[in-house]
Amino acid sequence: MSKIKDLFESGKIKSAFIPYFTLGDPNYNDSIEFGKTILDNGADILELGIPFSDPVADGPVIQRAVARSLKNKFSFSEIFRVTKEIHLHKKDVPLVYLTYFNPIFHCGIEDFLNQAKDSGVVGLVIPDLPFDTKESEVLFQELRKRDMDLIHLVTPASTKKRIEALKKTSTGFIYYVTSFGVTGERREFSVDLKERIRFLKETIQLPICAGFGISTPDQAGQISGYADGIIIGSAIQRIIEENGHEFPKAKQALAEYIAKIRVAIP
Amino acid sequence: MGKNQPGYFGEFGGRYAPEILTEALEELESTYHKLKKSKKFKKELEFYLSNYVGRPSPLTFAERLTKHWGGARIWLKREDLNHTGAHKINNAIGQALIAKFMGKKRIIAETGAGQHGLATATVGAMFGMETVVYMGAVDVERQNLNAKKIEMLGAKILPVTAGEATLKEATSEAMRDWALNVSTTHYIVGSAIGPHPFPTIVRDLQAVIGKEARSQFKKQNHKLPHAIVACVGGGSNAIGMFHAFLKDKHVAIYGAEAGGLGPKPGEHSATLTYGKTGFLHGTKTLIIQDEAGQIVPAHSVSAGLDYPGVGPEHAFLSQTKRVDYRMVTDEQALDCFLEVTRIEGIIPALETAHAFHVARDVAKDLGKKKDLIICLSGRGDKDVTEVLRLLGEKSK
Ligand SMILES: Cc1ncc(COP(=O)(O)O)c(C=O)c1O
Repeated sequence: MSKIKDLFESGKIKSAFIPYFTLGDPNYNDSIEFGKTILDNGADILELGIPFSDPVADGPVIQRAVARSLKNKFSFSEIFRVTKEIHLHKKDVPLVYLTYFNPIFHCGIEDFLNQAKDSGVVGLVIPDLPFDTKESEVLFQELRKRDMDLIHLVTPASTKKRIEALKKTSTGFIYYVTSFGVTGERREFSVDLKERIRFLKETIQLPICAGFGISTPDQAGQISGYADGIIIGSAIQRIIEENGHEFPKAKQALAEYIAKIRVAIP
Repeated sequence: MGKNQPGYFGEFGGRYAPEILTEALEELESTYHKLKKSKKFKKELEFYLSNYVGRPSPLTFAERLTKHWGGARIWLKREDLNHTGAHKINNAIGQALIAKFMGKKRIIAETGAGQHGLATATVGAMFGMETVVYMGAVDVERQNLNAKKIEMLGAKILPVTAGEATLKEATSEAMRDWALNVSTTHYIVGSAIGPHPFPTIVRDLQAVIGKEARSQFKKQNHKLPHAIVACVGGGSNAIGMFHAFLKDKHVAIYGAEAGGLGPKPGEHSATLTYGKTGFLHGTKTLIIQDEAGQIVPAHSVSAGLDYPGVGPEHAFLSQTKRVDYRMVTDEQALDCFLEVTRIEGIIPALETAHAFHVARDVAKDLGKKKDLIICLSGRGDKDVTEVLRLLGEKSK
């Protein structure tokens, strides 16, 4: 059974807190510390971004994070090294990679998955690889062989037909994109968020975690009332952006923010 | 969707876009499928092409250039004479009509040289649609005249400062806008790139270039040309020019891509020469990238060729060797720009100047009494300031 499935079925959590940050921002070694800090202050699953030069599904905050990361020399061996360090800090927290398909394709799917698994990664989110492509099918098969999950994105624009169709190749959890557009903090969410999540839960027998735009403890508290998890990226990345040049301050600010969100989630 | 399914050209093409866009892409695909067969749509498109764009564009025999180069007879397919000065309007009008049929009131576009932005702003004005154009901040500078025209036409320019601040970033930003406003907005992709069905729609709308050229040439000469040449950025004018000739196996086809300053990564936009298979902006194609799969910034003296990817159909035509793609450096393009201007009295776009350079070599190889058509994709008014600046630099 996959680690993620284990977690959701253990009954230990009502709603998962899934923070995201980009590896390598502002440098790879600080990333290790940020990862540890986030883990220490409460993450049920941790999403690590592998930077890609052209992140079309991301808003300005994450775009800037990626750009800062890519100022360092990018290499998969660095990515896997850092991931492993974070993993060893708290081995029971499942790690998930979020990246675009091109870097994975270049690394070679099997090679990438073997190394990712070795580093403690148990699932993938790939915003530009729709489930109904040949590449996604191959990836899904390879992930299954390794007990790893392919986490699909579902959006407010996804039709019933597509949702039905993606069931077959979907594991772990569903990443429900709460709003139109790209990642970034938002004040309001679509009015039918609750209904959509309920509908998804009934249609796909998987946990539904909501992300894109969540940033405040209030929002986290509210949405986690009906979603199986909440994902926060841009707000965390902003803290790193604003304090990243002063490492102790960044760490402190991160710890405080994560702890605040943690207590807001039941 | 898989191999050999619609939207693929061999292994290239497909739809690799964020999930939020899938609905819109499917809607576009099915609308276009219907419209393609609709007499009303065809009639309306033809009406605008002949009464607004100025089609058919002439096929001009370039007598002086033929003599000067001393090889094959040179013919020019005059897309520079279209309204707004380039082939881009063929596609912009067609897609604006599709948007109208879909009930979308807002159109957006990305632009490099500004020609596609200008074409989109123009049809936006003509059809009374709200228009937003994403343009790299560097290109807003390089192609300032076009940027000014776009604004004068009532469209909004949003300069993009991320990354290299050129066409690649403008394209990403337009995709993001579309994701946010997908229910009200149609994204008029400006080249034969992007997720399915864009490469097909853009190709179909630009195919008029080659169709006209083929029949014009045949009517005047009672045969087909020996060779045709076009420049390749994303590849829209080229695929438009090539399409009608692909089955004419004895017609040699050449594409000219930007060799920039040289072969080093970051110094060129020669995707078909140096690119590797990958995924960018919703399509599987050849891309200039490093060993780790990060996209390498592209360079070209012409903003319209400055893109690290290429339309998937070109990747396929290069793989099957139906088309011979060659590189042309900034300097060679600049030389041709001046040569054609002085010899033939036509100022070509810097993009097109790349095609002229390849054509010159091909014409010499073919020799006399053979015929070669160049797609003159656009006029060079937009490039005058930049060319003068570069010449000033050279003479220093
Ligand atoms: C005159 C002209 N030719 C060619 C191009 C390159 O685009 P494509 O390869 O899509 O024809 C451009 C792009 O801006 C252009 O303005």
